[in-house]
Amino acid sequence: MFNEKTIEEVKSANRKASSDATSTAFYNNPRIRGLFYQVALVAGLLYFFVTVIGNTLDNMEATGIKTGFAFLDAAAGYDVLMSLISFESTDTYARIFVVGFLNTILVSVIGIFFATLFGFIFGVAYFSHNWLIRKLAVVYVEIFRNIPLLLQVFFWYFAVLSSLPSARQSLSLGEAVFLNVRGLYFPKLVGGDLAWVVWTVLALAIGGVFYLRRWAKKRQEITGEQFPVLKASLALIIFAPLMAAALTGFPFTVDYPALKGFNYFGGVTVIPELMALSIALSVYTGAFIAEAVRAGIQSIPRGQTEAARSLGLRENKIMSLIIVPQAMRVIVPLLNSEYQSLVKNSTLAAAIGYPDLFNVFVGTALNQTGQAIETIFMTIIVYFIVNMVISFLMNRFNSAVSLVSR
Amino acid sequence: MKEFQPSSPRSAPVKSVGLIAWLRDNLFSSIPNAVVTIAFISFLAHYIPLLIDWAFLSANFKGETEAACVNDGACWVFVNAWSYQFFYGTYPPEEVWRINLTIVLLILVIIGSFTLPKSIRLKTSIAAWLLLPVVGIALLDGRLLGLEMVSTDLWGGFSLNVFMATASIVVAFPFSFLWALGRRSDMPFIRSVSVTFIEFFRGVPVLSLFFMGSVMLPLFFAEGTNVDKLIRVWLVLIFFMSGYMAEVFRGGFQAVPKGQYEAADSIGLGYWQKIMLIILPQVIKISMPNILATFVMLFKNTTFLLIIGIPEVVQTLQTALSNSYWLGGHALEGYLFVFLVFWGSCFGMSLLASRIERTMNTDKRD
Amino acid sequence: MTAISSNSNTEDVIVIENLNKWYGNFHVLRDINLRVKKGERIVICGPSGSGKSTMIRCINRLEEFQEGSLVVDGVEMIEDVKNIETIRKDVGMVFQHFNLFPHLTILENLTLGPIWVQKKPKAEAEEIAMKYLERVKIPDQANKYPGQLSGGQQQRVAIARSLCMNPNIMLFDEPTSALDPEMIKEVLDVMIELAQEGMTMLCVTHEMGFAKKVADRVIFMDGGEIVEENEPEAFFSNPQVDRTQQFLEQILNH
Repeated sequence: MFNEKTIEEVKSANRKASSDATSTAFYNNPRIRGLFYQVALVAGLLYFFVTVIGNTLDNMEATGIKTGFAFLDAAAGYDVLMSLISFESTDTYARIFVVGFLNTILVSVIGIFFATLFGFIFGVAYFSHNWLIRKLAVVYVEIFRNIPLLLQVFFWYFAVLSSLPSARQSLSLGEAVFLNVRGLYFPKLVGGDLAWVVWTVLALAIGGVFYLRRWAKKRQEITGEQFPVLKASLALIIFAPLMAAALTGFPFTVDYPALKGFNYFGGVTVIPELMALSIALSVYTGAFIAEAVRAGIQSIPRGQTEAARSLGLRENKIMSLIIVPQAMRVIVPLLNSEYQSLVKNSTLAAAIGYPDLFNVFVGTALNQTGQAIETIFMTIIVYFIVNMVISFLMNRFNSAVSLVSR
Repeated sequence: MKEFQPSSPRSAPVKSVGLIAWLRDNLFSSIPNAVVTIAFISFLAHYIPLLIDWAFLSANFKGETEAACVNDGACWVFVNAWSYQFFYGTYPPEEVWRINLTIVLLILVIIGSFTLPKSIRLKTSIAAWLLLPVVGIALLDGRLLGLEMVSTDLWGGFSLNVFMATASIVVAFPFSFLWALGRRSDMPFIRSVSVTFIEFFRGVPVLSLFFMGSVMLPLFFAEGTNVDKLIRVWLVLIFFMSGYMAEVFRGGFQAVPKGQYEAADSIGLGYWQKIMLIILPQVIKISMPNILATFVMLFKNTTFLLIIGIPEVVQTLQTALSNSYWLGGHALEGYLFVFLVFWGSCFGMSLLASRIERTMNTDKRD
Repeated sequence: MTAISSNSNTEDVIVIENLNKWYGNFHVLRDINLRVKKGERIVICGPSGSGKSTMIRCINRLEEFQEGSLVVDGVEMIEDVKNIETIRKDVGMVFQHFNLFPHLTILENLTLGPIWVQKKPKAEAEEIAMKYLERVKIPDQANKYPGQLSGGQQQRVAIARSLCMNPNIMLFDEPTSALDPEMIKEVLDVMIELAQEGMTMLCVTHEMGFAKKVADRVIFMDGGEIVEENEPEAFFSNPQVDRTQQFLEQILNH
């Protein structure tokens, strides 16, 4: 049995001992050590950067490479294979930067759209009742995941698209869509004077869908009756603009691609480089997304479906109310990294000559101006920003679907 | 008291088991299902015989030149004729034993890491792995060993892909582990530097890293130093891989139960002792499937070297296809061959990763 | 809606006749015959693997059977989606692992069925939900998520969730087996109250105290068959079959 006096003696003895300890072992103090390591690291990094920067400046002076961003105002002097905005070889490097950037965005958007589509289709197919469909999903994923993307891009570009027939013997759909070795051509809808009416109605219809959903939800809360929102939305988006078009006398002309000599002119042209890159990116990334979707759906315990069934819920409602929300928790972070991967992989455009940002700027502009640091720096900043935007959007989406736990 | 006589089991009604039941449930369970099945089967029945005919029955296997491809089917003669370059690039044929020796050493080291007796396994494997790239470079280059020097310009083909990937992961492994530790550090400056490093190398397109390596790196060094192209690529791959592996390790660290750290602390182990003796082995074990997956990704990325002009296997394929003696349009055969080679290696490694994951899961349940 | 089995007594809410089930070639339920009257409370016990869970899961079609007939509240269980739906609306189930929907609040878990299956307005569904939450004595947890509740609380929510559908029959599949000992009582109390109000209940459980207190009949199953059934008093003190006695000795002596 301790008595209180003994405890006091013990405590004061301890206090004395620990103050002794701190005053003698200062180099063992974790805080001091930590400070020391960090100072050493800072010093090391500083030395490294000073040396590197010094060397770089010397080298650039010696070889006559200029610094600074003045080159952006100079004329580029070369043309691009395709551009979403007007461009001539007399335009500046700054403009070509924008052209490249838009092309990168274009192929990324197309890629993300189709990759998500393929990914979800094959990811869900994995759970089909049909054995053949299940096996098809496995085959798709295992084949396209395990072959390097560059090889797939080359395959589509050099093996598939280049064996398409020449312009005069194009594959065609009706007299409107043509596919040949030079590209894909389809008609362009050109708006006449009253076209803006139809576009406005379309925009209103899309807005109307959101309003419709909200109204239907409120109605269900009050009366309990369910409204066929999906069918109504589709009908609205399709028929309202059609009616508007009819009422304004169809203010559109169609610009059909037409064969003149050895090539098609008019309509919309999709160059084979864009096609090959989009297809390869979509199929490749789609395989990874399919795996993510599969993982998400598999992560849901069977008990969830059983509980929902025992309440009497129908299969489609079980999917939309119970399975999908829970699966998205797992899928969304994976989608985030896959989308960012796709954007980075789009730089493979350099291998087949699609004029994306990397190819056009770091590829050609760097070659011509020799200003490696500025061009590379500007380019990677753009990729960082694009990926940060994707991350931000996906994180917002993720928070909306994540769980609260104890 | 009544004695309990369990009734004897009957066998299931014919309609509910066996092949018929399986067919009914899996292929014909509903009308749309049945339609899909029939469509599938007719598609396969039509195209599979055509494929087999093209690839095997009517194919050309023997011969040396384009002229030997007389049958209508695939011209495997093309693949045959170029197979040396596909694997070894333009390495001089009389020295190719050096590449083969390096590959054999690699296989031995891999097997050794799994099968050596446990007492010496860890130390020997680590030493072997770290020595492997050095030995490999020495063998392939030749100068250090007094062999005929083979310039890196001549290295190429699939063996180059394998070599670059392996050499990178060996160095990237410890390097990225340090970055992962740095990211977990309590010291704010070290943590920020680590995070910046990791996020930079993960967020930047790998192609830009290669360009930086080719174009910017020479500017960083003092005038006159000429670093070999492959060494520069090696450095780039190491940094690139480290960014991704550091994140894999981060996941591994988080998966090690907190109780392990606490137990190590309570025994009185210092920081590095705790890390090396207790945490590292567990992190590696837990992260193994992800490490393999990252390696597969790196391996696929070695094909990007083509864009900076290094003659790895896809580049070699392009060269072969545009060679004037073989302009018969053998793209399909060439691509299929290279597809198979890559697919085989990557799929094999993924299978290995799943197998390791499954073994670990059963371990955990005990 | 199809024909009622010709042998049914209008008081029988569940009629199982010669039910046989196979998993592949494994004969897991053998010639099950069972009639449950309205308001009856039945406890089913037996060693693991005896088929007791499988049997009650047949009642709301979470499991299918290959031979025999099953009629629930006058509706025959056949391969008809409409029949299955009707039966499921009438039968509530409580699972061993609760199976609450983790991404919905407690209130949303309870109102899901009434809103989407019974097509009730939200306000009415919430009123019903709160009423049952009060019955299971946790009305203050309505806006929390399942992950924030203890096991006992989650199971009580699960019971309330089934009750919100106003079933005539409640199935319990080892409702307390996954709970810590101190939480078993709170769940059993809810079940006892339910029983005393006259709910028809089939309960697979090892809680023999519950059986003694509340059951009208205790059924012992082994190897896929019903070995013995009797009133609890007689069942526990005077088992008729040696296998039953063997089982009782094992579970009542720990």
